[in-house]
Amino acid sequence: MRVSLQWIKDFVDVKASPVEIADRLTMAGLEIEGIERVDGDMVIEVEGMGHSGHTGNDMVFEVNVTPNRPDCLSILGIAREVAAAFQLPLKMPAADPGEGLTPSGISVEIADTDLCSRYAGRQISGVTVSESPKWMRDRLEKCGIRPINNIVDVTNYVLLELGHPLHAFDADKLAERKIRVARAGRDAAIMTLDGVERKPDENSLLIWDGSGPVAIAGVMGGEGSAVTATTRNIFLESAYFEPTSVRRTSKQLGLRSESSYRFERGTDIEFLETALNRASLLMKETGGGTIHHLVDVYLNRYQPVTVEVSYERVNRLLGTAIPGQDILGILGRLGIGTEDKGETFLVTPPAYLRDIRHTVDVVEEVARIYGFGNIPSRVPKTALSDGSTNPRETAISSVRESVRKSGFTEAVNYSFMNTADLDMLSIPADDERRKYISVKNPLRQEDGAMRTTLAPALIRNFMHNISRGVRDIRFFELSKVFIDEGGRLPSERLRLGGLFYRDRSPSIWRQDLPSFYFVKGALEALLDELRLKESSYVMSEETFLHPGKAADVLIRGARAGYVGELGPAIIEKLDLKISKPEVVVFELDLDMVLGMVSRAKTYSQIPRYPSVERDMAIILDDDITADDVLRYFSGYTSDLIESIELFDYYKGKNMPEGKKSLAFRVVYRAGDRTLTDEESFLPKHVPMLSKRAISLTSTCLCFIASEVAINDILGPSTLTTVLPVFPSRSSRTPAAPALYPKFTSKADDPPERTRCPGVTSLTSGMMYIPGTCIPVFFMNSTTSGSVLSLFSSCCLTYFPAPASFLWPKASTPADSSYSISPPASLSPSATMIIYVPAFTSERITRAK
Amino acid sequence: MDELLALRESFRSEVSAVNSLADLQNLKNRYSGKKGLLTSRLKSLSSVPADQKPKFGKDLNELKEYIEGEIKGRESALREDDYRQRLLAEKIDITLPGRPAFFGRTHPINQVLSEIKAIFVSMGFGLEEGPEIELDYYNFEALNIPKDHPARDMQDTFYVSDDVVLRTHTSPVQVRVMEKRRPPLRIIVPGKVYRCDSDVTHTPMFHQVEGLMVDTDISFADLKGLLELFIHNLFGSNTPVRFRPSYFPFTEPSAEVDIGCIFCSGSGCRICKTTGWLEILGSGMVNPRVFEMAGYGPDEYSGFAFGMGVERITMLKYGIDDLRLFFENDLRFLRQF
Repeated sequence: MRVSLQWIKDFVDVKASPVEIADRLTMAGLEIEGIERVDGDMVIEVEGMGHSGHTGNDMVFEVNVTPNRPDCLSILGIAREVAAAFQLPLKMPAADPGEGLTPSGISVEIADTDLCSRYAGRQISGVTVSESPKWMRDRLEKCGIRPINNIVDVTNYVLLELGHPLHAFDADKLAERKIRVARAGRDAAIMTLDGVERKPDENSLLIWDGSGPVAIAGVMGGEGSAVTATTRNIFLESAYFEPTSVRRTSKQLGLRSESSYRFERGTDIEFLETALNRASLLMKETGGGTIHHLVDVYLNRYQPVTVEVSYERVNRLLGTAIPGQDILGILGRLGIGTEDKGETFLVTPPAYLRDIRHTVDVVEEVARIYGFGNIPSRVPKTALSDGSTNPRETAISSVRESVRKSGFTEAVNYSFMNTADLDMLSIPADDERRKYISVKNPLRQEDGAMRTTLAPALIRNFMHNISRGVRDIRFFELSKVFIDEGGRLPSERLRLGGLFYRDRSPSIWRQDLPSFYFVKGALEALLDELRLKESSYVMSEETFLHPGKAADVLIRGARAGYVGELGPAIIEKLDLKISKPEVVVFELDLDMVLGMVSRAKTYSQIPRYPSVERDMAIILDDDITADDVLRYFSGYTSDLIESIELFDYYKGKNMPEGKKSLAFRVVYRAGDRTLTDEESFLPKHVPMLSKRAISLTSTCLCFIASEVAINDILGPSTLTTVLPVFPSRSSRTPAAPALYPKFTSKADDPPERTRCPGVTSLTSGMMYIPGTCIPVFFMNSTTSGSVLSLFSSCCLTYFPAPASFLWPKASTPADSSYSISPPASLSPSATMIIYVPAFTSERITRAK
Repeated sequence: MDELLALRESFRSEVSAVNSLADLQNLKNRYSGKKGLLTSRLKSLSSVPADQKPKFGKDLNELKEYIEGEIKGRESALREDDYRQRLLAEKIDITLPGRPAFFGRTHPINQVLSEIKAIFVSMGFGLEEGPEIELDYYNFEALNIPKDHPARDMQDTFYVSDDVVLRTHTSPVQVRVMEKRRPPLRIIVPGKVYRCDSDVTHTPMFHQVEGLMVDTDISFADLKGLLELFIHNLFGSNTPVRFRPSYFPFTEPSAEVDIGCIFCSGSGCRICKTTGWLEILGSGMVNPRVFEMAGYGPDEYSGFAFGMGVERITMLKYGIDDLRLFFENDLRFLRQF
């Protein structure tokens, strides 16, 4: 609200500088947001409160009046505060129209007394409608109101000055010279002053004359009864309308006015007569005419409330020791009546402070005038309470840190969603994400719903950045989504979402793996950080993801989210101008994930005995997943197998079309002893493992020494699937023995084997090879000769039917022309165990 | 005699010419090996006249020690050399960049939020949260803002239905917590809030932190003390703080909390609109009506509540001049923090 300092000075003779006045008012609860120096109606400069000095013709304060201070929505109200703050007397303007006036000749009836407690008015006859005097126009303009004519201007002037809204009717246009205050009822319509046909609802309070509505009570007058240039007789209304009623009507009609603003905050029912009189006198002064006698229907009289307050309570709530006399003095300055009762005092607020009804209301008045700055500061003394640790919050922080440390930067997006985004992502009709909550009054139609997924916003963030030349884009967001489950409130679920895009331009240290794995790695690191071990990934059916590069994230078998590359259809819609962009998005239901996190950390002893590691590489059809293999392996349990981990993936050169190589590391360990080679000897376990692996596919043919061997020596092999096996690191050779009872003596061994290069001796039917012993499992009935010719350089034992196998004699690996047919008697499911000379780790490295 | 001297001379020249460990080994073999020159001299001792024997033996021994010493010395020098060569060959260009690895950044709002949380947690406050889509009852009515109350105009509300709104502040959580727990209460509630407003200084969503402290004898002086402590923690212990009367329906008395402008130190600038003060917090003593509605006896307890906008504090702390940057998520912006 804009108020003129000059005008304030009509009421209080304040000498302080504008800046000081502004400061005092601000510190008493009337925030002065700005000061303007004006001359006439011209704004000369915008004055800062920090500056002082300039004296202009007038100063205008921009006052922020909080809704609890309707008493301050006027010059008088502000002046009252100034008077209280500076301890100055308040002067009131003349408002006595005198005695012995003629009656107004307008009858007033209040039909709906619940909405109108008092309706007063005066007729002013014989006025001349003209321009207001300059001083009045200036003041109105300084306060932001456009002058119209003297009659309208006076009502506005008094509204500004005394805070009470008035309405001037053309008395001659009031049918039957009658005012009736009643609800609109059904189908009421009125053309308001602004020329708009309004249809107030049934409960709106209207002012009626003998034929129809002439004003919307407290909001706006009707055009039909408006004062015009030819108006001679005025009926001036000054009434008290129920604040909530005015507010409801004003909201319903979307019609706000200076009047409604004040009525809905509460006006002074006692004071309205003064305002009426002041306005009448001003009309007479500016337009001539005769003031008539007051018409006043005052049914529900204002009953002053008395509040009993204890001095001790005031000081206890404020933490002060203000003497009782000072408390009463402060209240007195605000025009509040008080009576000392010893321990307590009685407070009788004036009608314009009718909101003072409780102890705290009194405390507030005391505090603001006493000065918040004068209240001491003290550090609260209170009992310790638990609850300062919040495990969920801690977990969320660790999620944020974990994802951040994987290179993702946090985004914060609005919680709104464009429902068209769901179509863009082809989210199916029955999907949960379609159960969104709509906002009734969105700012933009595109923000009409609450998010059910974080993906669209993250994609938008990506687009924003890529179009501005940012090349590495990694975002995450931790926000709630809202799913309408039919309850009163939707289900709010915390989501972790993310997006990853890596620029493909040359980088000095290339990392060429598909982007999917960067993100999956980050998620795995996250789950590890949360100590959640039982996660797995299955192909996802998310409609917006690339069907071949998308996974659902399962934790303990339950779907917690997805991770995958945006599908080509979406990418096309984004129109990126980048060839084959890999944009990976993910989303996790964090509430679900955090629900599985256990706070308990358990200790288990660090292994005291060394482990033995055996490595095994498997060449598989592309469509067999690593998880398939691990799952099959996991079906084979041994107390000695500590873990089976995938540690290498190879695809490309020297690998047959449609094949890939996966290398697994089997770690053996016993808790109570160092394992013997025999115990950890892979062949003992591999048949079990391999049988499982083999059952994955009918094309699985054999295990061979190492992937290097198969790749380098065989080239593109005729084998459809090869499972190479090689133990690592152990410099000792197995003392083979009782595992294969068939070969307990040299007599059972084909003698040719001794001629194999690198083979120095045989022990109990097992190869004894310096360095490492590499077992090879071989099975099939259709193996080609070239493979067997490789094996001919090796010692071989087979299983379960050694006698039936034909052994190529006197051949060397170089002799690729050698060719044999596998024995017809070898059953297709037979497993042969082949030992080949060691490929030491050095040799493997070199070959790579 | 001369013969030994000659041998010594020839060894000296030979050993200084040796440049590899292998050559040195050959040299060693040639002189001190089984069939080496020294050995053959030793064998010739018998042919030396008896009177010269002791001296010859002594000289020979000296020569032997000399040769062995030289070889040893040469060997260690060559080994040293060899080692140095090898390390040199393994040299890499240490000025090449490291393998690209970087952390992401936390959103500036959440950085400041964590700072705020940490300060309050250190003062014994617990963290609470509540729904972002809230019943009108909790967002307004239970906070002493009945329907058709002008205070509703203070906040432009997004409506989901007549009695469900997007919460306009984090204050509803006060009531939700009070309904469940008895004092003493010390909580803060960080979270997103929504207002139907969008311009240079308003975004339809922003972040607030609500605080509530309730006990049997909490006063306005406690409110001042605690919030001053907080502000001094967050903005530095020399930051001026002032409390100014204001209005919130759910507190009474209510106070806006201003800090001395951190840009102009109070002398007046564009950012503080020349007032020298920046508003950063709303606060007040919990209105007894709110206690009543939450089921507390209004005279049994007293307490205070406060709320702050995290965006505003973040802008002040980092000197950010455009609110909308927070939600644009431009990495060039986010990576500055």
